[in-house]
Amino acid sequence: MPAPAWNQNPAPALEAAFRHIAATRMAGLPIANAMLEVEAVAFRRYEQSGHWLGVLITPWAINLLLLPAPGAPWPDPAPGAKHTWHFPSGDYEFTVAREEALGTYHLCSLFSPPAEFDAQEEARQTAYAVLAALMLEGGGEEDRSAPPPPNRRAFLGLGR
Amino acid sequence: MTETFYDVLRRQGITRRSFLKFCSLTATSLGLGAAAAPRIAHAMENKPRTPVLWLHGLECTCCSESFIRSAHPLTKDVVLSMLSLDYDDTLMAAAGHQAEAIIEEIKRKYKGNYIVAVEGNPPLNEDGMFCIQGGRPFIDKLKETCADAKAIISWGSCASYGCVQAAKPNPTRATPVHKVITGKPIINVPGCPPIAEVMTGVVTYMLTFDRIPELDRQGRPKMFYGQRIHDKCYRRGHFDAGQFAEAWDDEGARKGYCLYKMGCKGPTTYNACSSMRWNGGVSWPVQSGHGCIGCSEDGFWDKGSFYDRVTDIKQFGVESNADQVGGTVAAVTGAAIAAHAAVTALARARNKNETNGE
Repeated sequence: MPAPAWNQNPAPALEAAFRHIAATRMAGLPIANAMLEVEAVAFRRYEQSGHWLGVLITPWAINLLLLPAPGAPWPDPAPGAKHTWHFPSGDYEFTVAREEALGTYHLCSLFSPPAEFDAQEEARQTAYAVLAALMLEGGGEEDRSAPPPPNRRAFLGLGR
Repeated sequence: MTETFYDVLRRQGITRRSFLKFCSLTATSLGLGAAAAPRIAHAMENKPRTPVLWLHGLECTCCSESFIRSAHPLTKDVVLSMLSLDYDDTLMAAAGHQAEAIIEEIKRKYKGNYIVAVEGNPPLNEDGMFCIQGGRPFIDKLKETCADAKAIISWGSCASYGCVQAAKPNPTRATPVHKVITGKPIINVPGCPPIAEVMTGVVTYMLTFDRIPELDRQGRPKMFYGQRIHDKCYRRGHFDAGQFAEAWDDEGARKGYCLYKMGCKGPTTYNACSSMRWNGGVSWPVQSGHGCIGCSEDGFWDKGSFYDRVTDIKQFGVESNADQVGGTVAAVTGAAIAAHAAVTALARARNKNETNGE
């Protein structure tokens, strides 16, 4: 089944769907962080792939999310499969997930359970920082020296 | 002339083609990317070989069973029989005094330059009488063998944390290796058993690069223990969406829903099972329908039933995780802390290809 594409920002639908989940299936989950609530942070179309990219905060997880936008190729393997997406800071393996109200989306786990956050504002600031660092080469870390280019002669055992 | 790994391999009849294949497989299993293969080849051709002495204390041999079943036969053969496993009382042909003499010989010839791999742990009660080898307590043998070692690998949860024989009330006072051996670098490779590719990866990394891999605060190699089972679980979407199996034979179980409510310890367990899987990538516990039992976490036998739900994640040491994200955000607020947490989380999530140093 092809994934339905999102013409408009999926953030309101995401928040509605996950608030419903929080109130029903996840109600009383002991490892949920009561200081956090469902919020879809900074969803926008990521120019390189064209798809909707943002961070979803819930009391039980903070994930990077990708949802399909029309007109851009969207790999649609079965839920549970992995797909690697490329960003300026590197390659990230996403897990394919599916929810009735939302269709297929891809998630990359950042914090789960998000026990270290004491307030929604901390989680929100971290979400913005994640999206900023995602777009930086090196991911915002100090530079690590790249491995030297392979020496083909050495690789083939022809001396150095 | 000193003998290199490659000299030993050629003497054993290994072709250069097979050798290079081993190098590239090793590079991949270490998450280093293809560019590292020639560096591994270069190291193995030029560095003198490092002997490994493999000791067995109180254990069940599941680590050895896992190790000798590495996915690629050459990987374990190279490490196990051809390269450098000079002593392993379970696997070696020698026995008795002949076997024990090997330890003395390696200690003398390679003083300060051999690796001791320990499977299991020493019991300390009754002067170590609960584990006797060659007529004397294992703790004595362990201390003597480690005295001149360059580094020590603690295989499995027994050597790393104590495991089942150290479960309360721990009648023999089984004690993890790092509590009795001090002053040496110790690499903890927990798991009951650890994944075969993780074990061969750690050994090969140390043999080829002649240094220990980057470790987290619990002494575990970050390249394999940097993420929780839960982070890479293929059932993760079901967790996020609140879709749980509530009984072993319910509709949710049949649909492959999340096993958290059935006691899965994936949210609190650091290991590579959900990304590397087992038996050459065929499957792993959650894929076969059972929750993670958290076997690579400290004291997992004393944390209640395998089927109890995780309710208090701090109990499971999440706070002392690989990068110490836990606690830091809560302790101080502000943009800099948020940025640090974000960068750390992204670094954990990022594929480790070619950007991961050696």
